[in-house]
Amino acid sequence: MQAHVEGTGGGKASLTCLIVDDSAFMRFHLRRLMDAFDNVVFSEAANGNEAIREYGRVRPDIVLMDIVMPGLEGVETVKRICDADPSARVIMISSVSYKEKVEEALAAGARSFIPKPVTTEQLRKAIEQVLA
Amino acid sequence: MRLDFVRVFVDSTSLLFKEFFGPEIEVSSISMKANPIPGREVLSIIGIAGEAQGRVIFDMDASTAIKLAEHMMGEPTNGLTPLVRSSIAELSSMAIGRAISTINDNGTRLRMSPPTVITGVNLLSYDQCFETLVAPITTAYGEVGVSITLQDLD
Repeated sequence: MQAHVEGTGGGKASLTCLIVDDSAFMRFHLRRLMDAFDNVVFSEAANGNEAIREYGRVRPDIVLMDIVMPGLEGVETVKRICDADPSARVIMISSVSYKEKVEEALAAGARSFIPKPVTTEQLRKAIEQVLA
Repeated sequence: MRLDFVRVFVDSTSLLFKEFFGPEIEVSSISMKANPIPGREVLSIIGIAGEAQGRVIFDMDASTAIKLAEHMMGEPTNGLTPLVRSSIAELSSMAIGRAISTINDNGTRLRMSPPTVITGVNLLSYDQCFETLVAPITTAYGEVGVSITLQDLD
């Protein structure tokens, strides 16, 4: 899949967001939930390698990252992104949310973890937390 | 077959379906099926590995898949589009992801593969080595069969 950038609102971008999920539905759904924020510029990636390339190109304000993906999975992807840029703000969003996996994701550099299915309110709180 | 794990998979799925599609969810009794397992027009397959191995298959009619996906997307769609297939994949992934999390939090190490969705007519799934348990789950949009094959490696 080709990562791409697209904005909402047509005005000046106030937030750049990279959505990383192998599920086209989840990318669609997360963009819908992000409609609650004004002027978001999105980029997307469907696996870890695409995400690393896209992160380097866009340097987004936030990253929404799945865990279970074909190829390079989410936790290792977060580690590589955060090793290269310790200021990266990554929110993990996954249905695989057992204690050890959450701890592993946070140790890799993720700033927050939301279990799927995610709600607008959970997403808003997590974004406000990582941007604070 | 780990029946306690099977129960977790079925409970996790029915709970998720209630959250997404409302309380009108019924789980019929779980039964053992001989191979091959006849599927309907849409199958979502997730592999399980770790201290137990096997797979979980969600199967449903195309019309059920479309209605479930439309509910998840919040908009009408036109047939079995890629986004419909992705919605069904994600639905099954969320159900099994939750179950895996519960099982791992209780001390057994399991992991799951990303889902694979197959569409067709008169689909059959074969697992020659294992027993398969099937739980039919009735939703307002039609029935979803959950077939679980899981071999404990201990």
